[in-house]
Amino acid sequence: MPCPSPRDMQSDIHLIGSGQTRFGELWDKGIRDLMEEATDAAINSSPCTALDIDMVIVSNMLAEVTNGQAHLAAIASSLLPHHPPAIRVESACGSGAFALHTACAMLESGRARNVLVIGVEKMTDVSVDTVASALMGAADSEQERPAGLTFPGIFGLITQRYMHEYGLTRDELSLVSAVHHRNACENPFAQFRLPVTPDAVTKSAMVSNPLRLLDCSPISDGAAACILSTEHAGAARLVASQIASDSLSIVDRPTITSFSATKDAAERALAEAEITLKDVRILETHDCFSTAALINLEDLGFCDPGEAIGIYHNLWRGGSPLDGARGRLPALGVNLSGGLKGCGHPVAATGIKQLIDVSKQLQKTGDRYGLAHNFGGAAATCGIHILESIS
Amino acid sequence: MRHPHPREYFVSIFHFSFFIFYSVTTSPILHRAQAKKHRKVQPGTVLSWTTMAHPLAGFGTHPRTVGLIALDDGSRALGQLVGKPMIGQRVRPRMVLSSVNAEGLRNYDVAYEAMAHVPAKAKQKRFPGYILALTGPSGVGKTTVSRMLISMFSANAETVPILTTRERKSGDDGEYTYVSKEKFTEFVRNGDMVAFVHLPSSTEERWYGYKRSDIENIWKKGRLPLVITEMHLLRGLVDHYGRRSLLSFGLLPPGKSKRAMLSALLHRLRIRGRDAEEHLKDRLKNATEDLAFFRERADLFDKILVNEDLDAVIETVRQSVPGLQN
Repeated sequence: MPCPSPRDMQSDIHLIGSGQTRFGELWDKGIRDLMEEATDAAINSSPCTALDIDMVIVSNMLAEVTNGQAHLAAIASSLLPHHPPAIRVESACGSGAFALHTACAMLESGRARNVLVIGVEKMTDVSVDTVASALMGAADSEQERPAGLTFPGIFGLITQRYMHEYGLTRDELSLVSAVHHRNACENPFAQFRLPVTPDAVTKSAMVSNPLRLLDCSPISDGAAACILSTEHAGAARLVASQIASDSLSIVDRPTITSFSATKDAAERALAEAEITLKDVRILETHDCFSTAALINLEDLGFCDPGEAIGIYHNLWRGGSPLDGARGRLPALGVNLSGGLKGCGHPVAATGIKQLIDVSKQLQKTGDRYGLAHNFGGAAATCGIHILESIS
Repeated sequence: MRHPHPREYFVSIFHFSFFIFYSVTTSPILHRAQAKKHRKVQPGTVLSWTTMAHPLAGFGTHPRTVGLIALDDGSRALGQLVGKPMIGQRVRPRMVLSSVNAEGLRNYDVAYEAMAHVPAKAKQKRFPGYILALTGPSGVGKTTVSRMLISMFSANAETVPILTTRERKSGDDGEYTYVSKEKFTEFVRNGDMVAFVHLPSSTEERWYGYKRSDIENIWKKGRLPLVITEMHLLRGLVDHYGRRSLLSFGLLPPGKSKRAMLSALLHRLRIRGRDAEEHLKDRLKNATEDLAFFRERADLFDKILVNEDLDAVIETVRQSVPGLQN
């Protein structure tokens, strides 16, 4: 249900610096090391100094369980010599976008002029069972968990239903991960810089019928940081920051093949940026599982329900993504970074990494607008940011 | 930059196979789920399903199939699926051991079983002339057990409604037919009631009973009447139809001593929230008499079951009723 439109952006917010660690299984780095590496890179790439940062927002979902560490705001603050005020934000896998949104609020209110936003997740310190259980915190602990579901299980249900409703085949679905892996080969920060064929996806181990191993984003360590500023100008400007929510449990939703939080946030973000979908040329979308990428393209409005696979057919063939498909755009870069599948998915770092990738790609292609779409759980929360390239 | 070998993908899969006893599903969570479980005890249709190679820790190491079910009352539920799953398939509820939590508490939950596995035109069974009776103190779980039985054997069994003069209460769930005191007395006078009783209550006149026509109509349909009852009505039925017409099960609360049983009952009655605190006293007093009755009139029962494990109770009843085994 659309809620009354929140007020538009109250000031010019620029992305003036960004940095990230490589995503992957980084056994020799702790949660603080990851934050520090990303922060150093962000400050070094910006026109300001560490002392100009007057607030830090840190996004993290699982540190209490995976690292025995709460109180990340204190760690984030201690990374800077003057210990600026810091806040932690959590919204499951959508934490990154929610941290960016919080940073915007701080900047718009005038409480801060240069905000450092850090997203960090260190997931490989514990067993896979522990991580799987901790990630289920993003679903309803009294509905999904007692059924024994894991997140691949929840998206298995979603995928099975999607295939039933739209006649998507297993071989077609495999194109999604193949495209993302191919893109990731170009990204030095990606966890998996190796191409996989659609056939390899189809033949990978079954995780949760019909989802296979290569449909699932991996368990990763990593951090990403960016500096948002109302004081300095950068190469790109944030023209929209919107968040939206849906029922936490899939049991309470009328449909599981479309995510209303994405639709709400997208509608409001485009209105806030005063652009149409046609203006968006770069897209980083939340492909935690390959089906999610398809549903996202439909919910964002790039194609009709059930038709997103046409976009991936075109991407795989190397054509313009919306050729032939009843698409609404002449050109669109989809998850050129490799997405969550290729880059890895340190859950709370992903939303910030997406914004960084959108800005990099805008600079590379010379396009004007790019959109970062990040969601939490099975899209019970969603955050969308639109960047405008100034150069 | 080192390129990961494809084999590295499979590392994570091997991690899964080590079953680590770890679960956040604590006893209080299970307990709350238990209280809401009856909502899931109804047939439905499979909206979607998936088979997880590695379910959540605590749910065993075997692949687990879970379905999203559109229940017949319009709500939705998640539950384990038994049998070959298919979208659009009709399913019915069944209790299964679902998980064991970190404290070792065995959690039975509602699973759904494909109805297609039952031959569509099962031969109509005949249950001439006998009644299945479930007797037990208030709060022991008679209604839950009977609801499970009915949902599993809806083709063969039917609950006999209890006629009562008491007021309708918010927690009542279709097991009563409400009549006025005058109407009830008229039925009794005309000999329409096969068993009836006046149960003492400090606040209202409460008469309960079974109507002859209700039971006999079920027989006429070739079905087995199921009565959910208490000691007085059970005696009435035995007096009317004879002991051999009844397949009689006593249902006792879990607990090693009478005190433990009463405490289990009181707890369930409070959770059910159907009775005010002053009525609870009445009910507990009746329950004390009920427990003594089980000992004194053991001849009225074919089997005494302890309602500790719902699935086991259902299974015992099913095995004991000729014709319900399949």
